[in-house]
Formats: sequence, structure tokens, C-alpha cells
Amino acid sequence: MTDAANTDRWIRWLNLVQLVLAGIIIMAPTVWMVLSSFKPSFEVTAYPPALIFTPTLENYVELTRTTPFLSYALNSLIVTVGSTALGLLFGIPAAFAVSWTRISWPAILTLAARMAPGTLFLLPWYVMFRQVGMIGSYTALILSHAVITLPIVIWVLLPSFDGIPRSVFEAAQVDGCSVTRILWRIALPLVASGVAVSAILAFVFSWNYFLFALVLSNGDTKTLIAAAFNFIGEGSTQWGALMAAATLIALPPLVLAALVQRWLVSGLTLGAVKG
Amino acid sequence: MSDAAATLAQDRQKLEMSALSAPAVIFTVAMIAFPVVYTVWLGFQNFSSTGKQSFAGLANYSKLVSDYEFWHGLWVTIALYVLSLVLQLVFGVWLALVLFHAKRLPGIVRSLFISPFMMPPVVAGMMWLVILDPSLGAANYVLQTFGLPPSDWLASPTWVIPTVALIDSWQWTPYVALIVLGGLQSLPPSVYEAAQIDGASPFKTFQRITLPLLLPTIVTAAILRSVDLLRFFDIIYITTQGGPGNASNTLNIYGFRVGFEFFNIGYASALMLTLTAIVFGAVLAFNRLRGAVAW
Repeated sequence: MTDAANTDRWIRWLNLVQLVLAGIIIMAPTVWMVLSSFKPSFEVTAYPPALIFTPTLENYVELTRTTPFLSYALNSLIVTVGSTALGLLFGIPAAFAVSWTRISWPAILTLAARMAPGTLFLLPWYVMFRQVGMIGSYTALILSHAVITLPIVIWVLLPSFDGIPRSVFEAAQVDGCSVTRILWRIALPLVASGVAVSAILAFVFSWNYFLFALVLSNGDTKTLIAAAFNFIGEGSTQWGALMAAATLIALPPLVLAALVQRWLVSGLTLGAVKG
Repeated sequence: MSDAAATLAQDRQKLEMSALSAPAVIFTVAMIAFPVVYTVWLGFQNFSSTGKQSFAGLANYSKLVSDYEFWHGLWVTIALYVLSLVLQLVFGVWLALVLFHAKRLPGIVRSLFISPFMMPPVVAGMMWLVILDPSLGAANYVLQTFGLPPSDWLASPTWVIPTVALIDSWQWTPYVALIVLGGLQSLPPSVYEAAQIDGASPFKTFQRITLPLLLPTIVTAAILRSVDLLRFFDIIYITTQGGPGNASNTLNIYGFRVGFEFFNIGYASALMLTLTAIVFGAVLAFNRLRGAVAW
């Protein structure tokens, strides 16, 4: 074997070792969380930490018994689905118009929400929603979370709409199609996969968002993420239940993200990088 | 078609286009533009402990200049920002190179690598809270196994900022890596071939060719991370609430507490506008830098 081939093999091995190392660092905490959620209560806090144990569902049972976990989950689902739907409803036509006219300020305007700290909006919202008695309402939560979903939908869909050849639209126009009709009948079916990716990303980031629900929800409308705080308060001695809660909260976004991982990167950078 | 009819059709199209973006624009003005203007107004108001409101002029801003907690928060924000950004960029580029040379990435591996930043930051905070527990956590056990002294992590005023930076970097380094990987994959292969013919070492190739060509992508990643890092909130609020003491009290956490724990809405508005100006300033600066390193 030649020297060059030897070096090549050696480099490939080195790369594999680094890849495995990175994988372990990335995975270990999550694996530990999931493992801890299945540990019997006396073994969760065992020191040295136990790697081998008899798995049990007692933490999950405890969680649903002692906290209104399922109603929090339902709140999360209502707010997330509502804000994702609102983001799609407003975002799809806007992205289409921006792509067609090349007038980009509406898209850039929505990005402001991506840059400013959430508290900047939360202060005036709080004052305004309080005046009209909407603190704690699903409406307030859905509206506030739509601020997160709208720019995601617009910026993920923009490149998809840009990718449709102009001649398709022009031909339809000559046939006398109105712009709205072109959007719903011709353009939308062509970007269906983009719509799916934008909907999933909007769902994930709305589900994950913490700050707004922390202030705008009440005991009845609290989302899972906002309630996470309660689990910690109660759970300093109940790590098992805490990790069960963390595992369940993380499950929906992780499953959804895995479904569309191939298309995620360009969407996540809001079009900054063509992945 | 006559000129008049063509103009009419064009006007009609313009109108239809405006109608399409109108819902998004109206929503954004109502939920963002108007509230921000309102915040500017709130910043000139004084809210007494009984909820009474009065015009305060620039009092909130002069208070800010002499407020020790503000300057401390600014320092915490910047320290956490710089530390996290450097960690994430350095390890992000490293991870991108490793992934790039692995050539074929099965979907399951990719899902694995995006899992940290797809989960809620709040969940990341919860799990690291347990792992980093000073007396029973797994992290200290690992340290001691390697003969290293245990740490108080989040409970130590000295180590809380590096620890939070470490948690955030665990979550977001793969994100930076995927952006940089995108940049690597779009580089023209011809530049490498030229370097190979010239007999350049892998390290030299990276330093002289790959890195300069990647800089615009790295700056893009830096912008995206800056926006999040300067308004750091979730992980700190879940794990330390700004503690121990005020050791991790970032401007965003401080502003939130002034507004929603002490209900001093006016002063909180002044704090948040200042933080927003800092974020926009950083983005503008990086945008200039991106212009300078473009090729």
C-alpha cells in the first residue's frame, strides 16, 4: 500500500472518531433525560448515578396524577395549532405577493419580531390585553404566538414561490385568471412541500416558545412550556417526574423535526443560506 | 389591448397584490409596530406602586444610567454573549468539517444532530438542571471519574455564566454546524483540486482557502446567533432566574422582572428599548462585516 493511501485511511478513521465523539456529546444529555424518566424514584437520585435499573412508568403516572399535565398539553396544542394556522393564513398570500412583486418590505417588517427581545412587545401587550380583559385568553396567546409563526411561514415559502417559473403565472394571466385564483389554484399546489415544511417549523417554534405564555396565560390556559416552571418548583426531590415532563414536552417537536430534517436547514436560517 | 386597458389591468393587479399582503401587514403593524411605539411612550411614563401613571420625561433613562443593576446586567449579557458565540462558532465550524468529510449522512444521523435545537430551550434547561446538580448530578460524577474536582455549576456565582453558555452551546452548536456545512457544500470543488495539485497540506488548505471562502457563511451564522444570544432568556429563567444572587441577571431577565415582578412598566420599557437598540446595533455591525468578507 502506498503512503498516500495509508494517510487517507488514517484521516478517515480520525474523522470517524470525531464524529462519534460529537454524537455522544450531543446525545448523552437527552438519553440521560429519557433514562431518568423511567427510573424508579429511589434510583433517580442514586449516587453514583445508576445506569442499570428496572424501567418503570411510575414517574409518568405520578405526573398525570399530581399535575394537570393533560390539560396543559391541550392548551399547548390549541395555542400552537391556532397560531400556526393564523401564520399560514396571513403568511401564504403575503409570501406570494412579495415573491411576485419583488416588493420586500412586508416580509422584512415581519422579521422585526425575530430580532427584538420578546419582552419589548410583551410590556405593551400586557397593558393593552389587561385593559380589554384578555389576559389568560386563548385569543391573546394565539395572537402573540402568531408573531413567531408569521415570519417563519413567509421566509420559508419565499424561495419556494421564487422557484416557480414566471411563465406559468403569465400564461394563466393571459387566460384571464385573477391573481388570487393563480395563488390558490396554480402556485399553492406547486409549493405544497414548502407549505408543509413551513407549517412544521412554525408549529415547532410556537410550541417551544416560553416568554409570552409566561405572562399572558392564566391557570386555565397555561401551556406546557409555561407550566414547566411549576414542575421544577414541585420536583426538586422528584427528578423522575420532572424528567418525564421534560421528555413528553420535547417529544412533539422532535418527532416533527425528524420527519422533515432534510428540508429544515434552509428554512431555519430564514433563507439566509441556501441549504 | 389599448394603453388605457393595460394600465387598468396593471392597477387591478397591484390592488390584488396589496390585498394579498394586507392581512400580514395589518397584523404586524397591530401586534409589533404599534406596540413598539406604545413602548416608547411607556418609557416616558412613571408607574407608582398603586398603579397610578404620570409623565416622567427622561427620568427612566436617567435612572438607567445610574442603576447599578443595569450596568451589571449589560456586563452579564455581553459576557454570556461573547463566550457563547465564540464557543458555538469554533465548535460549529469544527463539527461542520467533520460532517462534511463524513460525506454520506443518513437521515437518522441528521435528525440526531438537529435534536438539541429542535427541543424547547426550557426542556434543555430542565435536563441540564438535573445533570448539573452539585451533589447528585451525573456531570460531577463524570468529572470525578476522570479525577477532576466537582463544580457547583449553576449554583456558583463564578461558574454560572460559563455553565449557561455551555448549555446554550450544547443546544445551538449543531445549528451553526449545519449552516456552515451548507456553506462548505456550496464551495466550488475546483479550488480544492488546485490546492491538491500544489501539494498544500490539509491544514494550509483550510487556513488559506476554506476559511476565507467560508467567512460570509460564518458571519451569517454569527448574526442569527447574536439575535438570540443578546436577548438570552429561557434557559436562565428556568434554571437560575438570574441567580445565584444576580450573577446571571441578563438585561432581558432584569427587564422582565422589573416589568412583571415589580410592575414598573415605564422603567422596564426603557430597559427593553435599550436592549433592542443593542441587538440592532450588533446586527448592523455584522452586516457590514459580511459586506467586507464577501467574495
